Amino acid sequence: MNRADGETDRRRRFGTLCEGLRPDLLRFAFWLGRDRGLADDVVQEAMLRAWKAFDSLTDESKAKAWMLTIVRREFARTFGRKRHPTTDLDALVAAETDVLAAPEDERLAEMRAAIFRLEDDYREPLLLQVMMGYSTREIAEMMGMQQGAVLTRLFRARARLRQQLGLSAEAES
Amino acid sequence: MMNCLDFRRRVGAEPFATDEEVAAHRSDCGPCARHQDELQAMDGLIARALAVEAARIGKANPAESFPLPASAKRRLFAIAASLIVGLSVGLVLLVSVPRTSVAREVMGHILHEPGTMATTTPLAPGELAGVLDPDGTRLRSGIGDVTFAARCLFDGHVVPHLVVRTSAGPVTVLMLRHRTIGKPIRIAEQGYNGVVLPAPRGSIAIVGQGIANPDVIAQQVFDAVDWGG
Repeated sequence: MNRADGETDRRRRFGTLCEGLRPDLLRFAFWLGRDRGLADDVVQEAMLRAWKAFDSLTDESKAKAWMLTIVRREFARTFGRKRHPTTDLDALVAAETDVLAAPEDERLAEMRAAIFRLEDDYREPLLLQVMMGYSTREIAEMMGMQQGAVLTRLFRARARLRQQLGLSAEAES
Repeated sequence: MMNCLDFRRRVGAEPFATDEEVAAHRSDCGPCARHQDELQAMDGLIARALAVEAARIGKANPAESFPLPASAKRRLFAIAASLIVGLSVGLVLLVSVPRTSVAREVMGHILHEPGTMATTTPLAPGELAGVLDPDGTRLRSGIGDVTFAARCLFDGHVVPHLVVRTSAGPVTVLMLRHRTIGKPIRIAEQGYNGVVLPAPRGSIAIVGQGIANPDVIAQQVFDAVDWGG
């Protein structure tokens, strides 16, 4: 394969990866930052960084974890600059009504608002587990925590959600 | 021996835990079994809640973010003929090589997204169309409600991933246009069972949990797919 073919192939492979991963990465960044503008910026910037570092991805079956790591880093980098000035959770929910609305299913809308109201420490492992499909061991590695701490956060996240939705919550002790 | 508190803490963190201790306590304790069922149902709702429309979040088209430069486009035309020849040879090789890993990859994908099987609320027709339209396929009505639909990365390709609530329970359907197989491949692993069937375009994987007659259900789902022209 000559250099031009190699570059074209590289772009094609990267484009395929992006098409498949971008929706999940956008959702992840949106739920992480609770701001669609921030999510779009973070994912866009992360993809540019990923493109520059694409040659370091030697196993494309690990592309999802690789891109997610880049998004998490980019989020941490960007979050300080563009952090939403308000801590009013109702205002955060109201600002993203277009994305959170589920007129056909009231329970879905309630759950979305409840997830929005979860503390960052509980929301992120829940996203990684339910949306991205990672095991608690993998989440612990990603977040640099003990697996036991991840289990506790996940338990508390679901307990908080049950509480917010008016279901009986488990004791957290 | 796990007690009720231990069990609830465990499934509160991992609702789909199926290890021996969890299974043993679950079989002995009705209230805890119901609690786990509730948590699994809630995870289905969480999964659906998180699956907001990405198009409402991102403005830019990823293809626009990485445009091919004009020089590369010209080169593409110049090498088109050789690519066609190469692809033809590659296609012959691809269809003749046994793909024994497809069952493992299908199971890997399903186990990576266990919450999808717990979804229960039917999707709006528009949501399903958004997933199937790019492939030119359709799902005829009558087979059951579709409770999950997404375009997923599978083996380097973007494929439709559905969960359909059939008469035998929820089944995962993966439409693998890029994977040609010569004969059906059975799947029976970790409580899941089903089959990957050759399809007019590639193959289709249909997998449920503890389905009594997976072949019948798989055939019903297969027959419900309109593969387009």
